[in-house]
Amino acid sequence: MEFNRRRFLQAGGTAALMGTAGCDAPHKALWPYTGLPHEAKPPFAPPSSESIDLATHTLNRLTFGARPGQHERILRLAKREEDAVAKFIDEQLAPEKINDERAEFRVHKFETLALAPIGEFYEFQPRLLRDELTRATLTRAIYSERQLYEVMVRFWSDHFNIDISKGECKWLKPADDRDVIRPHALGTFPELLAASAKSQAMLTYLDGRANRVRKPGDKPNENYARELLELHTLGVHGGYTQQDVMEIARCLSGWRIGRGLFQTGKVQFEPGLHDARAKTVLGQAIPARDGLDGRNDFDDVLRIVAAHPSTGRHIAAKLCQRFIADEPPAAAIDTVAGAFTKTKGDIRETLRALFATDEFRGTRGNKFKQPLHFLASALRATDAETDAGKPLANYLVRMGHMPFEYPAPDGYPAHAEPWMSTLLWRWNFAAKLAQGQIKGTRIQHERLAKRAGDSAKLAAHLLGRQPSDDELAAAKASENPLGLLLASPSFQWS
Amino acid sequence: MTQAKATLHGNGDLRQTLVVVFLRGAADGLALMPPVGDDDYYRARPFTAVSKTAALKLNDRFGLNPLMNALEPAVKEGALTAVHCVGSGDTTRSHFEAQDLMEHGGHTGGGWLGRFLRFREQSSGGALSAIALGQAVPESLRGAPAATAMQSLDDFSFSGGDKFVQSLKQLYGGQTGVFGARARDTFNALGRIRELHAKDYSPANGADYGGDRFARELRLAAQLIKARVGVEAVTIDLDGWDTHLSQGPFISPLMRRLANGLTAFRRDLGAAMRQTTVVVMTEFGRRVSENSALGTDHGRGGTMFVLGGDGAEGRVIADWPGLKRDALVGPGDLPVTTDYRDVLAPVLRRHAPDADMVKVFPDHTPKLLGQADANA
Repeated sequence: MEFNRRRFLQAGGTAALMGTAGCDAPHKALWPYTGLPHEAKPPFAPPSSESIDLATHTLNRLTFGARPGQHERILRLAKREEDAVAKFIDEQLAPEKINDERAEFRVHKFETLALAPIGEFYEFQPRLLRDELTRATLTRAIYSERQLYEVMVRFWSDHFNIDISKGECKWLKPADDRDVIRPHALGTFPELLAASAKSQAMLTYLDGRANRVRKPGDKPNENYARELLELHTLGVHGGYTQQDVMEIARCLSGWRIGRGLFQTGKVQFEPGLHDARAKTVLGQAIPARDGLDGRNDFDDVLRIVAAHPSTGRHIAAKLCQRFIADEPPAAAIDTVAGAFTKTKGDIRETLRALFATDEFRGTRGNKFKQPLHFLASALRATDAETDAGKPLANYLVRMGHMPFEYPAPDGYPAHAEPWMSTLLWRWNFAAKLAQGQIKGTRIQHERLAKRAGDSAKLAAHLLGRQPSDDELAAAKASENPLGLLLASPSFQWS
Repeated sequence: MTQAKATLHGNGDLRQTLVVVFLRGAADGLALMPPVGDDDYYRARPFTAVSKTAALKLNDRFGLNPLMNALEPAVKEGALTAVHCVGSGDTTRSHFEAQDLMEHGGHTGGGWLGRFLRFREQSSGGALSAIALGQAVPESLRGAPAATAMQSLDDFSFSGGDKFVQSLKQLYGGQTGVFGARARDTFNALGRIRELHAKDYSPANGADYGGDRFARELRLAAQLIKARVGVEAVTIDLDGWDTHLSQGPFISPLMRRLANGLTAFRRDLGAAMRQTTVVVMTEFGRRVSENSALGTDHGRGGTMFVLGGDGAEGRVIADWPGLKRDALVGPGDLPVTTDYRDVLAPVLRRHAPDADMVKVFPDHTPKLLGQADANA
């Protein structure tokens, strides 16, 4: 998933062509010039079950919501629903095999995503960097075919939360998103953790770059060491002590971010700022190391914390909370933690084990959608065309869920309660979306209705099951049936 | 009070509202709140100083600029706290950096007001808890659990019609638990928004807002507060304080607007002022000496004002170093002797005792401010 510079430039050329047409989203008439195959919009069969079936459930949890025809497509993957869903999960766990050029084409126009080396970011206005990163994030959630991958990118963005408005994170977070979170979102946890620990943005956000020990007796900055244990690895009750926090802070002292010609933004180890004496971390001895050897403390610490049994359990519990229930059953956490430990933190295999649990398969419709999930699922369900611009993103500000803006290190909450005060803006968004009142975002009502067949079938598609008589009656009476169904209680849950 | 709050969500009839006015461009504290009792002030500002007799007296040392005479009732009734030599410990004299830093509440991410609203023990704010008057949500509200930028009441409308709401009521009527409760809150809020739109607004108690933008925004803030839709924080900007040359003609109308607007707002709110606090702040103050163009350059310590109605105001807070050269810092600026967060913290605690102040100001330990010695 490395960024290919040449392909980027080629696509940029096309984007410029579209720019001259005065159109932000790829205009229908210009699609032929993009070199992308025509996107078919055939009729589709919605779910026919009266309750949420396994295919809909899997779409609810592994994606930002079902697109028209996606349910039907899953069922066609195999004769039995079971097998079909298993195939879909396998597909989603191998995103590198999924052709995603249509979505990538849409994000190619955000040129700051490709800036390199990292010092280049400092040449740009923070506002532009933030806007492009946000638009790319929304665009991918809505259009990418690699849906589980994008879901996991959001998961890790919260797990390793960095508030883009803190200090130099304004310039550094886009690189963290591209070089740390995205390459490892479905990789291995130890590699993801190591990349995050040496991320310029993380070193800035949690003050790792300010963790210096010039002489014995200097107090190291413990901020990162504490969050590393409490949030990123072992978890708050993971069995570490304040002494461990202090020892890790000493181990990680001496890392800074370079300045000046060719050095700007480079992460460097400075022996003179490192505490060279021996340490003990979670019961394991780390020897005294002089000079540049001191940098090895870093790898030792990350190896120790990544392999700690509490880490597997902490990550498993968070994954289960995201994919199963706000209060996940202990049996599922055990299974997932077991898979995490057995595979040394292989994220794909850990997820594969999670999706195979009875708890995952059997607990349906009980997760309250976070605002970004709600918004993306409404746009996906209605096959909306959006430029993911300000008028759309403003709804996330109103609902307190702008990507990269959570103001504390623990990331946006994954449980329902904190989000339930957002109903007013969900209803407003649903009504306005269906009325075509969100600038830069459009639904083709007639095409959608025609593809679904009739209003009951369209309702079944939106709700992921047969609508109740009450729902159909309320939709009809509302004078805005599409908006009403998107605002309805069922659509708020996945 | 705490108990009542816990049961009131969304519309929060008992909620208090904090209005934050940011004077962008670095307002000149020595013009707003001149130290008319300090002779050195007249030596530093031979052409632009305010005379002692003209100033609206705060105490023996400080007065308010006479262009702000509209605030006289607030001063007399003890509703105004005025703070001098206040600001941030950071020495940047860049407007952008200083505003950013102050709105974040220190070297941290997210805004102090956003964190204040999000990190509560009992409940974080409802859908309409934070309103930014203007085009965009300011840095201070970043990370808020809900933040809405609005320029007029139209930005605050619900676009579903009666039938849409009726249909929603049918479907949400059967919902139980927290979800059902939040849905009922939201229907209440919709009803109040509808009332807001239904009738023209006429300010109470003969409050006379001017026609300028600042006054219009304060009027809208008063309207929203009185409609009790659950507004807990409002941000308003008043721009144009960066007066490097011919300061007088530029900031005179601004000072008038500031004082007239606040006075009309206070009168309009009447009893509701008991649950309302207005904080006026700016990124830094200006150079003590006027420059050759009769303007002033970027300085350090500035002023803040707190306007409230619960009897906790009516003070002058100023750890005043004097204006002698050796008392000044850098190229001749008032030092910062009071941290702006020490002014904000008690206001926030009063508004929400359950707010997590360690998270609101993570890199600052708020200090208790003493009563200023009026005769010092």
